[in-house]
Amino acid sequence: MYTKKLVDNLTTGQSKLLSQKRKNSFNQYSNLAEKNFKRIGLFDYQTPEYRAYNKEYIKNKKGLDELIITKMTDNLNNEAEIMAYLDKFTEPLVEKGNKGLGAKYTSMVDAFYNTGLFIKAPAGKEFKVPVEIFYLLEKDNPFLIDNNLIVAEEGSKLTVVIDYEMEVEDFEAFHNGLTRVIVEANAVLNIIKVQRFNDQSVNFDSNFSIISNQGEVNWIPIELGAKTSITNNENLLAEDGSKANISSVYFADGERKMDLAYKMNHQGRHSFSEIETKGVLKDRAKKVFRGDLYFQKGSSQASGAESEEVLMLDKTVVSDSIPALFSEEDNVEGEHAVSAGQIDQNRLFYLMSRGMNEAEAKRMMIEAAFNPIFDKIPLNELKGSVINDIKTRIRE
Amino acid sequence: MSEKTQVEDIDRSLHDTKNENKYRYKSEKGLTPEVIKDISREKDEPQWMTDFRLKSLEIYQQKEIPDWGADLSDLNLDEIIAYIRPDADLQSDWDEVPEEIKNTFDSLGIPEAEKKSLAGVGAQYDSEVVYHNLKEELVEQGVIYMDMENAIKEYEDVVKEHFMQLITPNDHKFSALHGAVWSGGSFVYVPAGVKVDIPLQSYFRFNAPGAGQFEHTLIILEEGAEAHFIEGCSAPQYSINNLHAGAVELFVGENASLRYSTIENWSRNMYNLNTKRALVEEDGVIEWVSGSFGSKVSMLYPMSILKGKGARAEFTGVTFAAEGQYLDTGAQVIHAAPHTTSTVNTRSIAKGGGKAYYRGLLKATENAHHAKATVSCESLMLDNDSVSDTLPIMKLETDDIDIGHEAKVGRISEESIYYLMSRGIDEEEAKAMIVRGFVEPIAKELPLEYAVELNNLISLELEGTIG
Repeated sequence: MYTKKLVDNLTTGQSKLLSQKRKNSFNQYSNLAEKNFKRIGLFDYQTPEYRAYNKEYIKNKKGLDELIITKMTDNLNNEAEIMAYLDKFTEPLVEKGNKGLGAKYTSMVDAFYNTGLFIKAPAGKEFKVPVEIFYLLEKDNPFLIDNNLIVAEEGSKLTVVIDYEMEVEDFEAFHNGLTRVIVEANAVLNIIKVQRFNDQSVNFDSNFSIISNQGEVNWIPIELGAKTSITNNENLLAEDGSKANISSVYFADGERKMDLAYKMNHQGRHSFSEIETKGVLKDRAKKVFRGDLYFQKGSSQASGAESEEVLMLDKTVVSDSIPALFSEEDNVEGEHAVSAGQIDQNRLFYLMSRGMNEAEAKRMMIEAAFNPIFDKIPLNELKGSVINDIKTRIRE
Repeated sequence: MSEKTQVEDIDRSLHDTKNENKYRYKSEKGLTPEVIKDISREKDEPQWMTDFRLKSLEIYQQKEIPDWGADLSDLNLDEIIAYIRPDADLQSDWDEVPEEIKNTFDSLGIPEAEKKSLAGVGAQYDSEVVYHNLKEELVEQGVIYMDMENAIKEYEDVVKEHFMQLITPNDHKFSALHGAVWSGGSFVYVPAGVKVDIPLQSYFRFNAPGAGQFEHTLIILEEGAEAHFIEGCSAPQYSINNLHAGAVELFVGENASLRYSTIENWSRNMYNLNTKRALVEEDGVIEWVSGSFGSKVSMLYPMSILKGKGARAEFTGVTFAAEGQYLDTGAQVIHAAPHTTSTVNTRSIAKGGGKAYYRGLLKATENAHHAKATVSCESLMLDNDSVSDTLPIMKLETDDIDIGHEAKVGRISEESIYYLMSRGIDEEEAKAMIVRGFVEPIAKELPLEYAVELNNLISLELEGTIG
């Protein structure tokens, strides 16, 4: 299925350099063995048949006239620029730390993407309105491989919202995504990703960033759906004073399996990173959380912190946490903390003593835990629908 | 302005003395069933043990060397001679221990420790116990403390029931190797309700180039018993890589309480691949105190299995990795019953290019409702040639638990130094105080003479360099 012929079809009409990139990636892809995800229990996964994605996915461009936004699948006249950005990710020092979900999955995206955007905030421009990207998976478009490249040029400010959503409930969708991010000096980039696939679908997603001098990236991954969701987010704090932040929420219920891997790779001095993850496990859900703080030699006075809070609502859930701290540099501050357990019985009792029933009280406490992260979602409509989703599912 | 702290290595001259080797029996290099049978015959073992050794050898030959953790590619297992017995029989009186061996022990302070009313000494010289003594009153209470070789003969039923049941040859390549060639070690049995109020000590030591050390420690505490066992290790320096693949199996009965303390200070060519496990019954307590200072490579992850309701585990560990060392250590706790609790508290120090790795496991099975666990790991980096990694794994399979984990890495904070200096303490002393304070939680868990030894081992000479 995933043959050279398919690549040839995909490159027909596409610009030259990106076509070549597809072909090279295909060679890499075809030489790699299938990857298993042992901890989450995904073995010998068979990627479904390739399908084109035929829906418009740029939702909002209003107020974004100066933003450069083009589809990676189009015949582009700025592809030399795109290639120059992509090449940054294959430099040895960058590639060393950025594995994503593994080369099998990332090279698959580079060879077979059916969607994806190049988004660039030009130097010094501050965008008040977020860019909204809406990948809707439906019966006719159940297959999504998105290859995104987001660049915030020096001193720019931009917020990007990527919403992965599904319309009907009775089919299996597939998603494998790759989002590469470059944050130049003094730029600020916020990326909100919401994943709400149905209980039959499979989600793979890799995210990389390279952050320059005093640049800042803020990720807000919100993972609510899919039968199996395996996601990865790796940040290279390449230069002095660079900052990266991940504030994530996951809610796993039913038979859902989630594997979340976050990594902060400190190279620059005074670089600063923070990972804050809050999650709820319910029914027979299984979750693996990995958070790596890595201080490379030379990253003096860097500081990194990582925390995970897990609320476990049922006896039958399974929660693995692997927070790792790797340090080659003495002059750093790194710490991580994990707490796992049930809802605080005293607080629950207090709320119930005020006349709430147990379900309501629990819902309120979960909302209270998640709200600081939801408040970072800049779109009220999206925020409201995410909160409603969670409310409904706690009640079930 | 940030400053660097210079910490000197441990002074090893005391521990790196070696005696000339005199052997009565030395097995051929490499491992074959014949070698195993020879070892077993030489020890005059019952048939089941010979069979067990042969079965373990089979498993050993099938298993691969682990591909994670430390690099073991320099370890030539065939070169390591499985079994060497010193030219000394088992002694019951210190005066009869050969002078040469005594000198080595003297320099390690064992007879002095004995004088200070320690309960018993089982010092392992190469592969067999050469000295054994146990206080009269303990014998009267029914406490058994003897070498494993004799325990197999005298208490065959008890040994057979427990031997390598917690750590099986199937666990990994080195437990299989241990099962095939184990030699020496201690057997401790404390009957129900007996409280041994003085620590039982054994001092393990190698003294043969290329010799493997595969001692087996088996401790059984019956209901309500209490004991403290101290294992100390020290070895002379050799040019050939040495391997230590011992096994420690601890059975803690209902309401029993065992403290197991170790200071490992193998010479810097040693591969310390030891396996330690404890099984704790209802309301029993296991306390581990573990100091890892020596060896070239250590991979050591003592495991506590909390099998009975209300069982408790505590682990306190310090690891000091200096130049050329890769010390990969950590604690494993399995909560397999309700209301079990565990506390893991570790400190690691890395300097001079040393690599300190904390690798831990905390698991709560579906039965472990109302379990409580806290893990705290702190690492101190003394320079940026060194590496300090922390990898705690948590696997939780039930909801009604309370788990907390914290880890930190960093160097000596300038605020702390500044604070102490503002109190009239000079800079060097301030730094020394902070490093001593850092290992204090471990030091205070040890009996006094061991705490003194720990301080000697660390022997931190602090020297500030400005700029």
